Amino acid sequence: MTAATTAESARAIAWRRRRAGIARTWHEFATQKAALAGLFLLVLTVLLALLLPLISDQSGLDVTRVTGKPLSPPDSQFWLGTDIDGRSVLLMTVWGTRISLLVGFCATALSVFIGTLIGITAAHFGGWVSAILLRFTDFFLVLPSLVLAIALAAVLPQGIWTIVLAIGVTAWPSTARLVRAQTLTIESRPYIERARALGGGHLHVVTKHVLPGVAPLVLANTTLVVGNAVIADATLSFLGVGDPTSISWGAMLETALNNGAVTRGAWWNLLPPGIAIVLVVLMFTLVGRGLETVLNPRLKGRHS
Amino acid sequence: MTALLELKNLGVTYRTGGGDVPAVRGVDLRLDAGGTLGVAGESGSGKSTVAMSVLRLLPRSAKITGEILLDGEDVSEMRWGRLRAVRWAEASVVFQGAMHALNPVRRIGEQIAEPIRLHAPDGKAQTEAQVQARVTELLEQVDLPRSRAGAYPHELSGGQKQRVMIAMALACEPRLVIADEPTTALDVIVQAQVLSVLSKLVAERGIGLIMISHDLSVLAATCERIAVMYDGELVEERPSAELMSSPQHEHSRALAAAFPTVGDPVSRYAPATATPLPPEPEERAGADEAPLLAAEDLHVTFRDRKGKRIHAVNGVNLEVRRDEIVALVGQSGSGKTTLARTLLGLQKPDSGAVRYAGKPVPAGGAGLRAYRREVQLVLQDPTSALNPAHTVYEAVAEGPRIHGLANERDVVLKALESAELRPPEKFLDRLPHELSGGQRQRVVIAGALALEPSLLLADEPVASLDASVRGEILALLLRLRRQLGLSALVITHDLGLAWNIADRVAVMYRGELVETGTVEQVLLDPQHEYTKSLLAALPGGTAQRTAAEA
Amino acid sequence: MSQAIAPDQAAVLADPDERRGGTGTLRFVLTKIAEAVASVFLVIVLGFFLFRLLPGDPVAFMARDRPTDPGQIAELRERLGIDKPVLAQFGNYFVGLFQGDFGESYIERRPVLDMIGERLWPTVLLVGSATVLAVALGLWLGIRAAWKRDSFFDRAQTGIALTFWSVPQFWLGLLLLVATNGLFPSRGMHSPDAGPGFFAQSLDVLHHLILPCLTLLAVFYAQYMLVMRSSLLGEMNADYLTTARAKGLRDDLVRRRHAVPNALLPTVTLVFMQFGTVVAGAVTVEAVFSWPGLGQLTYDALHGPDLPVLQGVFIVLASAVVLMNLFAELLYRVLDPRVRTA
Repeated sequence: MTAATTAESARAIAWRRRRAGIARTWHEFATQKAALAGLFLLVLTVLLALLLPLISDQSGLDVTRVTGKPLSPPDSQFWLGTDIDGRSVLLMTVWGTRISLLVGFCATALSVFIGTLIGITAAHFGGWVSAILLRFTDFFLVLPSLVLAIALAAVLPQGIWTIVLAIGVTAWPSTARLVRAQTLTIESRPYIERARALGGGHLHVVTKHVLPGVAPLVLANTTLVVGNAVIADATLSFLGVGDPTSISWGAMLETALNNGAVTRGAWWNLLPPGIAIVLVVLMFTLVGRGLETVLNPRLKGRHS
Repeated sequence: MTALLELKNLGVTYRTGGGDVPAVRGVDLRLDAGGTLGVAGESGSGKSTVAMSVLRLLPRSAKITGEILLDGEDVSEMRWGRLRAVRWAEASVVFQGAMHALNPVRRIGEQIAEPIRLHAPDGKAQTEAQVQARVTELLEQVDLPRSRAGAYPHELSGGQKQRVMIAMALACEPRLVIADEPTTALDVIVQAQVLSVLSKLVAERGIGLIMISHDLSVLAATCERIAVMYDGELVEERPSAELMSSPQHEHSRALAAAFPTVGDPVSRYAPATATPLPPEPEERAGADEAPLLAAEDLHVTFRDRKGKRIHAVNGVNLEVRRDEIVALVGQSGSGKTTLARTLLGLQKPDSGAVRYAGKPVPAGGAGLRAYRREVQLVLQDPTSALNPAHTVYEAVAEGPRIHGLANERDVVLKALESAELRPPEKFLDRLPHELSGGQRQRVVIAGALALEPSLLLADEPVASLDASVRGEILALLLRLRRQLGLSALVITHDLGLAWNIADRVAVMYRGELVETGTVEQVLLDPQHEYTKSLLAALPGGTAQRTAAEA
Repeated sequence: MSQAIAPDQAAVLADPDERRGGTGTLRFVLTKIAEAVASVFLVIVLGFFLFRLLPGDPVAFMARDRPTDPGQIAELRERLGIDKPVLAQFGNYFVGLFQGDFGESYIERRPVLDMIGERLWPTVLLVGSATVLAVALGLWLGIRAAWKRDSFFDRAQTGIALTFWSVPQFWLGLLLLVATNGLFPSRGMHSPDAGPGFFAQSLDVLHHLILPCLTLLAVFYAQYMLVMRSSLLGEMNADYLTTARAKGLRDDLVRRRHAVPNALLPTVTLVFMQFGTVVAGAVTVEAVFSWPGLGQLTYDALHGPDLPVLQGVFIVLASAVVLMNLFAELLYRVLDPRVRTA
C-alpha cells in the first residue's frame, strides 16, 4: 500500500463520517417545524433579494420619475399605497430587502470573526492575555452598544459600510463570550489532555479539536446575530445615521415619522417595512434557535 | 406477615422517540420489616430504576407494570395525595452522589427540617423548637456537629454530604430506606465510615434497607441478602455470604471477580478475563537495572482560591523500571494525578527533576515531544478522553500524525490489533458513541500504543468502567507487559487493582509517598498507619485478615 | 442591537462556574470596584477618541454647514483647546470631566452637563417603570412556561415572546401611536392644559408615560421571559428536585422552594447585565414619543451633529451601565451562598 492511497482512504473515512454527521444534524433540525419553516422562507427571501434586478424595475424608486400621488392609500395600481414622494411602498419594501440583508450579513461576518478570534484566544491562552481580553470583552459587552454604534456612525462618513462597521465592532462581545465558554468547556475535556500528552502543540489543539468543536455553536450564533444586525441596521437608519441615498426599511420608517405620514394616519407607510423587519428577524431567530437546539450540547433536550 | 416491600412481576418501560425500551422485566423481590437487601448490577442493569419505582420517582416517560406493595398497599395505584403522604414518611431515599441531590442554595438544616414539617406525626404541626431539636438530634446521630445545620452543601465534604442525606432520610422515622449507590465516588476510608453509620442506624431502629451498588463487596458488608440484576432482570438472589463464596450465575461471578480480595493468591496476577493470560516471560529485566522513569525529590505547589499554598506533591521519589507495573495508590486529593501530570511534563514542578532513561526531561520543544513518544497517557474516562467527533481511525492516528510517522494506516491497524480490537478494520470508521465503554478504553490504549511507547501512564484506567470490563482492561495491561515488555505506572484508589496486576506499590498520602515496596510487602505487611487504615477500610476485608478471624 | 444577547445564550453567558471562585469579601468588593473604575476610565478614553480624534478637526466639523471666517475659526480653536497637542487636550478634557465640565453644546451654546441634568429624570422614570414591569411579567411567564413545558401555554407564550423579541422598538412605538389614534398624547411628558396640583400633574405624566412604557415593556419582558424559561429548564432535571419530590412535597412547593431559587440567580444577574440594551431601547422610544429624556437628547444631538452633547451622553450612559454591572456583581455575591462563603 502506497502512502498516497493511505492518506486518501483516511480522508475518505473522515469525509464519509462528516457527511453522515451533517445528514444527522439536518435530520434532527428538520424535526422542528418552526425552524424548518423559517429556513424555507429565509432561502426564498435571499433568492428574491438576489434576483430582484432581473424581475423588477428599479426606476420606480427614483423620486423624479414617480407616477403616483403622495401618500395615496392602497389601490389596484399601488397595492400598498405610496409614500410622501408618491413612490410605491411595495416596490420600496421589496428593494429594501437587499440593503437589510447585505448589512445584516456583512456586519455579522465582521462581528462573528472578531468574536471567535477573541473568544478562542482568551480561552486557549490563559494568564494575562486571557485576563486582558476578558476584561476588554466584558467592557464592550456591557457598553450600550447602540449608543456606541450611533457615535461611530455619527463621526464616520455616512454610508452603508459605516453602518456595517458600527454594528460589526459593537456586536461581537456576546459571540466572544459564547466562544470562550465553549472553548473552555472543550479544553477541559480529557481528550485535549490526551492530545497534549501525545505531543500536540497549540496549533494542533486549536485546529483539530477547538475549532471544529466551536464551529457548530458559532454557526447557530451567527444566525441569531444576523437577526440582531438587521434590527440594528433598521434602528440606525431610523435614527438618521444611515445612508441617505439608499432605500432601507429603517429609512422608510424615519421618513414616515418625520414627514407626517404617521400623524396623518398613513398606516400603509408604517406596516410594510416594519412587518418585513419582524419577519426577517423572526426567520433568522427561528433558524438560529433550531440550530442551537441541535448543535449546542448545553441546550440539547431543553427545547424539544 | 405482610412484607415491608414486595415487588411482584415488576416491569418498567421507557417510552422514547424510537419506541418502547424495557428497563426492568419481571422482577420479584421481597423484603421483610427490618431486613436488609442489596441490589447489585452494572450500569444499565435496571437496578436504579427498580429503586426509584418504589416511590414512583421515575420520569414521566416510564410505564410501570406489575405490583409494588409497600406494607401491602400498591404504590402504583395510589392517588397523588396518598403517595405524597407515603413518600419519606414510610420510605425515604439516600440518593447517589449527594453532591447534586442537595439543593445548593439552601442550608442543610432547612433541607433536613423540610420533611419533618411536611410529615408532622399525628397530623399536628410541630413547634419550631421541636423541629430544630429534631434536626440537631439527627445531625448528631450521623456524627455531624449541630453547627453544621447552618452550612450550605458546597461547604461540606463528600462524606459529610452523604451523612446529611442519611440524616435527612431518617428524619421521619421511615420503615424503609432505599440507598442508591450511597458511597460511590467516596474514598475508601470515608466509604467505610458512611457505611458503618448507615448500618448502625438502620439496625438500631429496625428499619428495612435496600442498598443499590455496583460493588458486591460493599453490599456484602452491609446486607443480609443480595440480589443481582443483569439487563433488566433479576438473575440471582441469595444470602450475601453464600452469593459471595459461590456465585451461581455467570454475571454474579463476573461481578464478584471484579473486586478481588486483597491477599487472595487466586487473584494475584490474575485479573478476571475470558482469554487466558500469556505466561510470565522467562527473562525479566532485573530489579537492579537502571530506572526507566524516575522522579527525584519532586515538589509541586498550587495556590488555592484563597491564595493559600497547597503542596500537592511534596518531595516525591519514584522509579519505574523497564518491564514492570507500578501502582500508585492514594485517595482523591492525595496529589497522585498532579504527580502524573508532572511526570508527563503537563505540569511544571517547583523543584526536583523527572528523568527518563537517566536524562532529565526537557521542559519544551522537540526534546519534550520526543519524550512524549516514549511515555503515553491513558485517562480515566474513555468517553471524555476521545473527541466525540473523531472516528477511531482519527483518534488512533492523532499521535502518529503529530509525530509525522510514515505508513499511518499500518501503524493504526497494528495498534488496534495490539489493543485487542479485532478485526481492526471493523472499527476504523466508528465514532466513540457507537462503542462500548471497554472498547473506548481500548481505543485510547491503541492511540497510546501507536507511538510504540516504552511506558504507559494510566490514571484510574478502569474506575469508570463496568465490573465485567474492568478485568479485561487490566488483563490487557498485564499482557502488554508480558508480551511487549511495556512498563506501566497505574494510578488508582483501588487496592484490588494493585493486587491484580502490579509488581510494586507506592502509597501516596497528602503529597508524599508514605510507603513503597512490592505488592506483597506493602499490602500484606503494611508498615505505615495510613496504608493500614486503607486496608482496614476495604469492605471485603483482606484474605489474611479474613483467615485470621475465621 | 436592541438585543445584544440572544435569549438562549444569555443563560450560558452568566457562567455560574466563573462566579464561584470565592475570595475574601472585602477583597472581592475592592477588586470589583477597581474594575469598574478601570471601565469608567476606558469609557472616558473611548469618548475622547470617538468624539475628538476620530472626526478630525471639530472646528471644521462645526463650521461645515455655516459660513465662518478664519478669525472665528482661530478663536474657536483656542476656546476648545484644540491648538494644543493631543495629550494635553486629553489632560484638559479629563480634568474638566471631574470638575463637571463636559464641554459646551455646539448648538445651544450651553454647558452639556446642565442639558444632561435636565433630561436625566424623565429617562429614569421611563426606563425604571418599564424595567420593573418587564422583570415581573417576564419572570412570571418564564417560570410558568418552563414548568408546563411544551404545553399550549408554553408554546403560545414562547411564540409571542419570540415575535416581540424580533420587533424593532421604534416601530412598535409608531404602531401604537397610529393604533391608539389620539387616545394617548403622542409627544412629550406634560400637557400645557393639565390642571395644577400634584395629583393632576402626576396623572398627566402617567397619561404621557403609558405608550412609551408599554413599548419598552413589550420588548424587554420577552427577553427576561426567554432567559428565565431556559434557566429553569436547565434546572428541571437536577437531582435535588427528585429529592424534593421524594420528600413528598407538592409540585408547586418543589417549584417555588427548590427550582426557582436556583434558576433565578443567573436571571437576576442578567437583568442587570442587560442594562445596556435597556438604555439603547430608551434612545429610540424617546425619539418616537418625543419623551424629554436622554434618548431624545441623543436623537437631537445626532442631527446637529452636536458632538459635545453626544460625547456627554455617551459617557454618562456608559458609566451608568458600568455601575449597574458593578451592582449586579455585588448582588450576586449576596444572593448566591456558593459565592459568598466559598
